[in-house]
Amino acid sequence: MTLLALPGMLWFILFCYIPMFGVVFAFKQFKARPGESLFTNLFVNSPWAGFDNFSFLMRSSEMPKIMFNTIFYNVIFLIAGIAVPVVLAVFLTEVHGKRFSGVVQMVMLLPYFLSWVIVGYCLYGFLATDEGQINHILSLLGLKTVQWYQSPQYWRGILIGTGLWKSVGYSMVIYLCSITAIDRSLYEGAALDGATFLDRVRYITVPMLRTTITTIFILNIGSILTSDFGLFYQVPMDSNSLQPVTQTLDVYVYKALMQQANFNYSAAASFLQSTVGCMLLLISQAVINHLKNKEGSEYIAGEQ
Amino acid sequence: MGDFVRPADSSYSKRTNRIVTAVFSVLSVLFFLPVLLVIIVSVSSQDSVTAVGYSYFPREFSLEAYRYLFNSGMYLARSFVNSVIITIAGTALGLILMYPMAYALSRREYRMRGFLIVFIMIPMLFSGGLVASYMVNTQLLHLKNTYFALIFPGLCSTWYILIMRNYFMDALPDSLIEAAKLDGGNNFQIITKVVIPLTKPVIMTVAVFQMFSYWNSWYPSLLYIDSNHTELYPLQYVLVNMERSIETVTRDAQYLTGMQSYTPPAVTIRMAMVVLVILPIMILFPFFQRFLKTGMSVGAVKG
Repeated sequence: MTLLALPGMLWFILFCYIPMFGVVFAFKQFKARPGESLFTNLFVNSPWAGFDNFSFLMRSSEMPKIMFNTIFYNVIFLIAGIAVPVVLAVFLTEVHGKRFSGVVQMVMLLPYFLSWVIVGYCLYGFLATDEGQINHILSLLGLKTVQWYQSPQYWRGILIGTGLWKSVGYSMVIYLCSITAIDRSLYEGAALDGATFLDRVRYITVPMLRTTITTIFILNIGSILTSDFGLFYQVPMDSNSLQPVTQTLDVYVYKALMQQANFNYSAAASFLQSTVGCMLLLISQAVINHLKNKEGSEYIAGEQ
Repeated sequence: MGDFVRPADSSYSKRTNRIVTAVFSVLSVLFFLPVLLVIIVSVSSQDSVTAVGYSYFPREFSLEAYRYLFNSGMYLARSFVNSVIITIAGTALGLILMYPMAYALSRREYRMRGFLIVFIMIPMLFSGGLVASYMVNTQLLHLKNTYFALIFPGLCSTWYILIMRNYFMDALPDSLIEAAKLDGGNNFQIITKVVIPLTKPVIMTVAVFQMFSYWNSWYPSLLYIDSNHTELYPLQYVLVNMERSIETVTRDAQYLTGMQSYTPPAVTIRMAMVVLVILPIMILFPFFQRFLKTGMSVGAVKG
């Protein structure tokens, strides 16, 4: 049996466990001597830096903005990413035509399976300065055209819209699966007792979805400092003038590593992401378990 | 089990149905518009783009961009082949690693399974960060500028292992495996003769997810492939680079054909390439949707 699991374990060791030692980067002043192995360089040749990397990181002038962006977008996606698909799923269940419902699901699911690169191009079709659809319409209407890729004020909305466009269909189908698993006789009974549509949603659908919603909520809380790199780097086409609203921690981690070769700050930032996320995840799990026990309800936990 | 309420036994009003149907029709069209625009632009003529921009109603249709791409020879063909190689290798290797592991995890008599579950869950909670994996992959494993860099890092996922394991626990009762053992099968034979035929749906589910994620992958190329190794670029990454500036496209295009004087339809070429990437996804999507939904519902309910 262990033999069966061995190749997979080996992969996890190579690509997950060995890099975990890399948290050390966050507490070192990394100095690489050419010709020596990574571990000698990291553990022997580099002096300890204590929490210096973190305090530098926190004092840097960009950091407050980066932190704000990361948390801002994540909180919005956390709320909208649950509310919008749940509402859509609840209404889609009301559609009688099965084939129609299938087509709707397919169309709305499609963006999820496109890469951010492709999404970036789709958006470019609308926002390009000279040929873009929107500027074209604006000029037809006799309005002033906008240099979209140089105008940060519009991008919070654009990014949120794009993010939802890509993910809403996927979450909707997940909730739809949970809704269809609910016993229909509950609804029939409620209807006989005179429950309106909203009553049924409120007292049957939403409580029944609670497990799924809680699971997704906990998982998303765990990635509160992690954002989708593609959305914030590729979709705005890495435009410099948009940076104030597009730069999130992941973009920073990438740029510090690949463009500035600043290993320590990049590592410190990812360390922050990872630990804060891990802690929040465990805390929210514990809080929810606690609430559940207090309530004494017997619903099955959405164990990881 | 009917997935949805049939009109006959529904207690919902016809009016709600009509309204909701109308709303979702509009919504679906809106969701599809961005993709449609790219498709239309890719078959517009360059003159039309100059005149009316990226429009849903181009002045004139033309397949010039596609003709150009297909005549561009090696560069594009190579990146297409790269994408295919990476997708096939990533899907196959991923399954080879994850499937036996999930099987072991689903057997109650396996003593290590508690430990192993924790072992694969920890990376979900905590990771060493980008710097660490970058350094390990480049300096320790020497993956930089190789196909392996594009394949190895994404092979396994705790999610897929758990999805498969949950499926196995339902689909493969202990008694069945016991019986197979009594018949003298070893683990390998049991897996190939008994387990795989019974678990095809979940294999397909994970395979489809893996295929999409490898076909769409561009981040590993951004990290691990240098600009002087264009022969390793998958399609997605060619697009990332094209995006930077139109001049690059023109230059690439000239490099592709060796024709200096001819100005290629730079703008529509990019959109045509996007369509080439989307097309396989859109064609396969309806066939795969069943498997995707299986995976998503398993992932959601049992998490």
